[in-house]
Amino acid sequence: MMQKKICMLGGFAVGKTSLVRRFVSNMFSDHYQTTIGVTVEKKNVTVDNRDVMLMLWDLYGDDEFQRVRDSYLRGSSGYILVMDGTRKVTLDTALALQQTAARTVGAVPFVSIINKADVRSEWEITECAIEQLRERGWPVLFGSAKLGQGVEELFVTLATRMGNPSPRSTDRS
Amino acid sequence: MKSRQHDFGPSDDSLFNDVLSSLDIAVFERENPGEFRLRGLPPDWWSVCFGPADCTLLDLGRCSPFLQDYLAGAHPVWESTPGTIEKSGAWAESDRQGGTMTLEATVLSIGSRRLLLIERLGLRFEQMRDIVQRARERTLAEDIAVKSHRKTETRLMGQLEASKRTKDDALLLLQHLKLAALVLDEHGHITFVSDSGLEMLGLAAENVVGRQWEQALPLQKQDRLMIREMLGLSSHGGKIGPFHIEGPSPCWIEMELHRDPRHPGRRIVVLNDRTELHALRRALNEQASFHDLMGKSPAMLRIYQLVQDIAQVDTTVLIEGETGTGKELIARAIHSTSGRRNKPFIAANCAGLTDSLLTSQLFGHKRGAFTGAVNDQQGLFEAAEGGTLFLDEIGDIPSQVQTALLRVLQEKEITKLGEAKPRKVEVRVLAATHHNLSEDVVRGSFRADLLYRIRIARVQLPPLRERRKDIPLLAYSFLDQICTATGKTIKLLNPDTLRLLMSHPWPGNVRELKSAIEFSVISCKGKEVLPTDLPPEITGSSVVSSPSVWISITDQDAKSRLLAALSDAKGNRTEAARRLGVSRATFYRRLVELNIHPTR
Repeated sequence: MMQKKICMLGGFAVGKTSLVRRFVSNMFSDHYQTTIGVTVEKKNVTVDNRDVMLMLWDLYGDDEFQRVRDSYLRGSSGYILVMDGTRKVTLDTALALQQTAARTVGAVPFVSIINKADVRSEWEITECAIEQLRERGWPVLFGSAKLGQGVEELFVTLATRMGNPSPRSTDRS
Repeated sequence: MKSRQHDFGPSDDSLFNDVLSSLDIAVFERENPGEFRLRGLPPDWWSVCFGPADCTLLDLGRCSPFLQDYLAGAHPVWESTPGTIEKSGAWAESDRQGGTMTLEATVLSIGSRRLLLIERLGLRFEQMRDIVQRARERTLAEDIAVKSHRKTETRLMGQLEASKRTKDDALLLLQHLKLAALVLDEHGHITFVSDSGLEMLGLAAENVVGRQWEQALPLQKQDRLMIREMLGLSSHGGKIGPFHIEGPSPCWIEMELHRDPRHPGRRIVVLNDRTELHALRRALNEQASFHDLMGKSPAMLRIYQLVQDIAQVDTTVLIEGETGTGKELIARAIHSTSGRRNKPFIAANCAGLTDSLLTSQLFGHKRGAFTGAVNDQQGLFEAAEGGTLFLDEIGDIPSQVQTALLRVLQEKEITKLGEAKPRKVEVRVLAATHHNLSEDVVRGSFRADLLYRIRIARVQLPPLRERRKDIPLLAYSFLDQICTATGKTIKLLNPDTLRLLMSHPWPGNVRELKSAIEFSVISCKGKEVLPTDLPPEITGSSVVSSPSVWISITDQDAKSRLLAALSDAKGNRTEAARRLGVSRATFYRRLVELNIHPTR
């Protein structure tokens, strides 16, 4: 079976672990437990009638305490940029991480997701900012790990993109 | 990556394995791609995490997805300079007991040997994890707090904005409604005044806002005192005024005082422009009075008009009416309205005088004309030259004087006593009587030709009982006059008091009413005249008869009453008449009728 390494990237507490846990085991916890290092989870999916094992590398959140190591990114077939809609600063972190990932693993497919759609009224990330991301060529999805909204779609979208190399999402900025 | 220059020989293997076994680290040496040989004994945690190491040659990629990826292909460290070391970074691995272990791999090569060390991150790592956890939680909490503050700020800004809008709307509404209002704080400072209020007061905002109302508002002293008193009351407010506002555009304003429901010490004052109303009221009052006459009943309005008409001509006038109806006031009004207003007005009471005395008074006398005539004496006709002579109680003049008077009226000349030559006089004669002169003519006590001469114009004053509507107006007018004179502050007549006044027959007419009000003001102890303050003859609680009854009682009683009044007034006939509630003319007439000759 084909294996694909996918890295979950984003600032701390954006919901990377929650998205993976919801996708892999359909579980969710409101309790925030920071990730140190990386946890690798596996999930089999079928993309275009082909079974693919996704190796989900749930990386720690990037902040002043922990910078993402290039070694974690090596060999990735794609990555997911996760943002917290209620914290505008996480969009800036995602932009920086995308630059790092592109530098380390090249122009592999990626998708972005703005998490915490269950509290949309509290979002700081504006429609205008989202539109600007899309103008950069970013696929932007909305989801809620808490409610399970958009989670499946997120991984399937990336897996599809990885299985179908063209067109790839790239940052056109 | 770090470089090391040391190398170990095969003879060190035993020591090397012992050292590695004593450390809590699993050490592997790469033999073939994907195959690693365990060096020394595995640490205790190895079997918990990956199961027992049955043999020393392991496929680590099968043990851990992380290692599978990390060790895939030829690791760069093993391909680079010998002695280079790289740490994989921490990763979490699920163990076989349902827990999680955090591990870290170190890749290095010593000489030609490619080594892999896997260690379990222990206490120091957990401490670091806790620190990071707490730091991130604090950051999140601060973020939430900042957002909460920002949200509060936004809400407050919104409320402030809404409040401003509400204030603007309220001001606009005030402006649109032209509502003149001001707000006073607990200390009497004006904190707000609407544009309409400024316009009404004729003041600029900078001269009003922030100042004491007593300093800012151009009020008269007594009005300030009244407003201060009202503001000091604990009641919820009310209307006061109107007050005269001085300044470039004087006006009359009425004030509505309200407590600010949010701050009990503050007052909202609504100003109502009553200038027009005041002018109308004044016009109405003017219509309700004419010179010193008071009343707005149809009968009195006709009298006012008649007086004005009569004043335009220069004829003799006969004024008829019961005692106390104001005959002399009518005479004065005719004089004041006529072209003679700047000339003398002389009033003479003809009652109770002998013919010689009356003749002397009217026409004057020369020195020595009669016993006691020690000097030349000017008569009243001469004194009234160019003006008006009012002859009250003309029905009581003796017949000889009637003849002389007729001559004066016909010839417009008088002859002084003791003088032979007549002299011209230019005097308008107004006469008054309570008699029915026509009946007197029939009885022969009054000359018909004189009657016709003096009755060219005729004013018949109605008794007060025939114009009861005027009683409240008259009563309040007298109350006001008397209070002003006495310094009392009685403002009201009790409804029962007013009812008694309305039902009384008033035989003494307006004079009796004035006397009754004066009596009640003296008796009154409060701010309102009560029925008990009225004279007993009005309340019906007295055995003392009213003047009308007094007329009909026996002469002896009447004589006693007159003498008592004279005694109380220390011989002053005017005062005695006032005390009895009759006119001076009536009093004189009664003295003659009852043959009383006061010593004074």
